[in-house]
Amino acid sequence: MRFVDEFRDAELAGALAGEILAAVEPGHHYKVMEVCGGHTHSIYKYAIDDLLPENVELVHGPGCPVCVIPMGRVDDAIALACDNDVLFTCFGDMLRVPGSDGTLLDAKARGADVRMVYSPLDALRLAKANPEREVVFLAIGFETTAPSTALTLKRARLEGVANFSCLCNHVTILPPLRALLDSPDLRLDGFIGPGHVATVVGARPFEFIPAHYGKPLVVSGFEPLDILQSLVMILRQLQDGRCEVENQYSRVVPYEGNLRALEVLAEVFTLRPHFEWRGLGFISQSALRLSDAYADLDAEQRFAVPGVRVADPKACQCGEVLKGVIKPWECKVFGTACTPEHAIGTCMVSPEGACAAYYNYGRLARERELV
Amino acid sequence: MTFGCPPGAHCVTCGDDATPMRVVRVDEERGLALCADADGTRRTVEIELVAPVAGGDEVLVHAGVALARSGPA
Repeated sequence: MRFVDEFRDAELAGALAGEILAAVEPGHHYKVMEVCGGHTHSIYKYAIDDLLPENVELVHGPGCPVCVIPMGRVDDAIALACDNDVLFTCFGDMLRVPGSDGTLLDAKARGADVRMVYSPLDALRLAKANPEREVVFLAIGFETTAPSTALTLKRARLEGVANFSCLCNHVTILPPLRALLDSPDLRLDGFIGPGHVATVVGARPFEFIPAHYGKPLVVSGFEPLDILQSLVMILRQLQDGRCEVENQYSRVVPYEGNLRALEVLAEVFTLRPHFEWRGLGFISQSALRLSDAYADLDAEQRFAVPGVRVADPKACQCGEVLKGVIKPWECKVFGTACTPEHAIGTCMVSPEGACAAYYNYGRLARERELV
Repeated sequence: MTFGCPPGAHCVTCGDDATPMRVVRVDEERGLALCADADGTRRTVEIELVAPVAGGDEVLVHAGVALARSGPA
């Protein structure tokens, strides 16, 4: 398919690796954060790390929406699925995210009607097919996924589907980035910006990062050549003493984003005053709830939801991993007590989580780091 | 049906991931289109955010919604 195959060309990848080598200063250690879990996944899947000089380090950011969901919100979902005789729907990743007493998959094993869907529209179809049941969709994701939930809620309203509601855990990417940049233990040279979030919000909202924090950001696609080219662009900015937002993914991302999607988001959602992020704590205005106009479709209004805050397990160091302070394998329980099959921390649950990506693909990279 | 993503699989819905798909047929009245991915798998996709589209166009699909056109418009 166009725009896929040509972005996996090994010869071109080698040429870009050469450009990266030419753009770095020997003796300077570069740390670049890939914000998005999709990038983390591509970096390991295509062994992009292995093409980089030793002094260019990629740091994994907080951009996996599953990894940042705090335990209390998972408990809310499980309580809702178990206690109300609802038909509970969610994406596949969320089924295995541990709450304080098991996962949604465990709840399903105990008899709760929990079903995996590929899109919120599938959940709405289930609601229409089961008019006698209350159907709840557990919405998670950044600005990439939020339009899908918003359009589904609009469609539910338009078609008068009264037995459908949404437990909203949508989060926004800019506040946690700001929190990370304000964190004193973080040293970064630049950012690989989240390409698919940017299809919705555009590249412009990231301008505060070069303007206020002096770090270049390049909005990047997800194929191997996209990521390598974005690194070249970041390193060239550093070499030239420039600091700006550049759009490597311009074949998909308009600088101003998708205005129609932004309108739909503004209609259906409103910002929560604050939201807890796993490992990062409470961040103000960093998540979405349903707007007052859609309150009747809000599962938090329709059902009693416990809303209890639960501390992360002590052994789990997802917070440090999400901030890029430690590498996944430096966590005390990585690969022993915490594996993709039996995850303690959320970073090990989602395939896009930094720990799961390292576990599945990163062993060679780890051996290299140990040498 | 399997539940949960097997280790190493990439969940196409949850993360910041999107799939390039080709429009096969458009149902303008319902705001939906039948689209096919690179492997030929077909799915019904909401096209409100990128409309109008026509058969043969390439769109980027995330969680059942076309978010953008791939390539120059």
